[in-house]
Amino acid sequence: MSPAEARHVIVADLGFGDAGKGTIVDWLAGRAAATARPARTAAVLRFNGGAQAAHTVVRADGTSHTFAQFGAGTFAGVPTLLTRHTLVEPLALAREAAALAALGVPAPLDLISVDRAALLTTPLHAAVNRAREAARGGAAHGSCGIGIGETMSYALDHPDLALRAGDTESPSRLRRRLLALREWAATTIQTLAGAGLPGAGGAVPLPDVNELIRAYRAFARRVRLTGAGELARLAAAGPLVCEGAQGVLLDEWRGFHPHTTWSTTTFANALELLTEAGVDTGDVCRLGVTRTYATRHGAGPFPSEDPSLAPLLPEPHNGTGRWQGAFRVGHLDLVLLRYALEVCGGVDALAVTHLDTAAAAGDRLKVATAWRAGGTRITRLRPGPFADLAHQRRLTDLALAATPDLTAPGRSWPGLLSGELGVPVAVTSWGPRSGDKHPPTMDFSPTREDRGRVPVP
Amino acid sequence: MGSGRWSHDAYDAAAAYRARTGRDAFDYDAGIRASRRRQDWTAHPDLDPYGVDVRESRDSAEHPESLAVAVLFDVTGSMGYVPRRLQEKLPQLFDLLLDRGYVAHPQLLFGAIGDATCDRVPLQIGQFESDNRMDEQLGRILLEGGGGGQKTESYELAAYFMARHTSIDCWEKRGKRGYLFIIGDELNYPRVYARGGNAPVTGYDRSGRRGVAEVIGDRLQDDIDTRDIYAELREMYDVYYILPSGTSYAGDRQVLDHWRDLLGQNVIELDDLDAVSETIALTIGIGEGTIGLDDGLADLRQQGSTAGRSVERALAPVARGPRDARDPRDARDPRVPRASGADRGGRVPVARRSVVRRGNTRGARWV
Repeated sequence: MSPAEARHVIVADLGFGDAGKGTIVDWLAGRAAATARPARTAAVLRFNGGAQAAHTVVRADGTSHTFAQFGAGTFAGVPTLLTRHTLVEPLALAREAAALAALGVPAPLDLISVDRAALLTTPLHAAVNRAREAARGGAAHGSCGIGIGETMSYALDHPDLALRAGDTESPSRLRRRLLALREWAATTIQTLAGAGLPGAGGAVPLPDVNELIRAYRAFARRVRLTGAGELARLAAAGPLVCEGAQGVLLDEWRGFHPHTTWSTTTFANALELLTEAGVDTGDVCRLGVTRTYATRHGAGPFPSEDPSLAPLLPEPHNGTGRWQGAFRVGHLDLVLLRYALEVCGGVDALAVTHLDTAAAAGDRLKVATAWRAGGTRITRLRPGPFADLAHQRRLTDLALAATPDLTAPGRSWPGLLSGELGVPVAVTSWGPRSGDKHPPTMDFSPTREDRGRVPVP
Repeated sequence: MGSGRWSHDAYDAAAAYRARTGRDAFDYDAGIRASRRRQDWTAHPDLDPYGVDVRESRDSAEHPESLAVAVLFDVTGSMGYVPRRLQEKLPQLFDLLLDRGYVAHPQLLFGAIGDATCDRVPLQIGQFESDNRMDEQLGRILLEGGGGGQKTESYELAAYFMARHTSIDCWEKRGKRGYLFIIGDELNYPRVYARGGNAPVTGYDRSGRRGVAEVIGDRLQDDIDTRDIYAELREMYDVYYILPSGTSYAGDRQVLDHWRDLLGQNVIELDDLDAVSETIALTIGIGEGTIGLDDGLADLRQQGSTAGRSVERALAPVARGPRDARDPRDARDPRVPRASGADRGGRVPVARRSVVRRGNTRGARWV
């Protein structure tokens, strides 16, 4: 069903991220009472990733904000719930709230609720992360420097000691867990400095636990912490928009290992949360977002990459990241899109973005209909058994060796995408603002004969 | 992020979270204090009891079996910093009830009690809410911080309002009493005064006193004895009194005896304000029979609270048997559902509630 018919919408990026989820969420959240859906969006849910997300939304007056932990529905006045699958960085959250307040959002912290079970990312994790990057020297993974990966690995290694949002409510638990964390950080950095390259930072003083406790206690008093029942209440109160972070092709289990992120980027987490809350999944629209060309921020395979396109495709919000590396562009890759659809279980509708950029680039933009590797023509990648990283590594090697078969699109981008992928296009975006979307509101829905799930071609 | 950056970040974050922007915990309070002279202070319109017909707790498709839970706390000066601490802690109550599975569909109402003799805003009563945005109600409460200093507050006015101006489905449809918690540290006035002003002086200065007519707007023939209003209230609600220690009369025999006289065993001494939500949640959980007393007290101890003893005292009679068997009043047939606001016949013989609701009787002369 299209987003206009479904009550709840899950938004995920079908590529390597940066497709424009933020503007689509902003557009969904802005569904006002004037549309056919009288219920105002109850909340935007974040269901993966953490403070490393960067979803830019441009307001009608041209001011913009790159949302990291606040949901992209904030400008529309929609509250955000950071669910248990997210990693929360309270210090960054405070900074972001201040930035939003400066943009005129009234009391942004009133719009945030955090599940008590969400893991916290702290400066201690970031310190270990930096030490590790320094120890890797030239072989740095290009992480974001916040400590997301360290948060995840620490939680996996010490499930009972991992710091969670709910711990900030109890001073004694908070202190105990922070002290354990600090000890772990000190030992890890020591080990890295001993084993690593010269210049690995062992001399950097570690954050002071008491200062962190003060900050986290203030966080607990100010930010609404919620429990398991919150989601069901929100779902009953109105439509939800689930905002994914990163992209399906960066998924921890389905992405091109090792160039992946530390979270599940498919619809799985969101569907799990909604099912727990008693929402009928038939009442959910899975909306896949893609540009009309491919992008990749940072290292990893990118068969259809074409640096000569860069001058034609301006990228105002994504520069060369200090941690991630360069922002790369290339042609639309149907092989990767089909793979993305397959590993995330298909989508119900597409959102096609950056049509304005594509129009400006004209006929320089091509489509990769297949790959050639070792004399074989490949149109589809086979998903392996779940969580088989060896298989994912083989896919990476294949993608690194592949060259794309490029052809001219020959029809409009939305037509091409919905035809090739067998999925209707629910919304097209001709610019960064909410008003640049077509249709302008949700009450428009393309007529379709078949209402069932669309199989992947 | 540079190496020394975290320290600034931690400091800035703490400051940002503490900043009073947008929502001082009691933001209506902060706003009104800044903007008006004391004699012009008024309750937030959403909380003003004057002229209110009923505050309703209703079942809905989402919440088929609503349970009304009201928490009223004393906001006068004698309680010092306590109201603020309560405001920090009370929002957790809703999640506690739900997450621990004590109650499936709680509907919470918050209210604030002052002193009708010398406060500008002696009573503030919110609405029954069934979602997590409780803070809004709490945030609108004006903390007058006055009080009379004569060891009495107008709790009985609040009891009158709850008894005669609330309509709750759990009781009306299912014969199941709601829960009402009063948090405070002083005594009731001996009677619910029908009106203030020109009545004979009875032992203390009544010149500034305002009664039901001025605060709530009902026209009563006569004053009501405080005992009677509590008896009436306890038909509809299980009423508990919580005395936070460390407030001005905490631990005071006279206060405890006074409340035990009104409420029997339902008097809880709370030594640790941080455990206020746990204590209330636990009381409800045990009252509902969804948790045993021992498990509940273990939960409470885990929180590091020592309120367990008084909770145990208050709840031991509750926990021993099913709720229906412990109180002869339960043996009565639940009354048939009434239309809200209809005359509640069959009650304790007290003065009838108002027949006519005047649009505005404030300042009217009573003869």
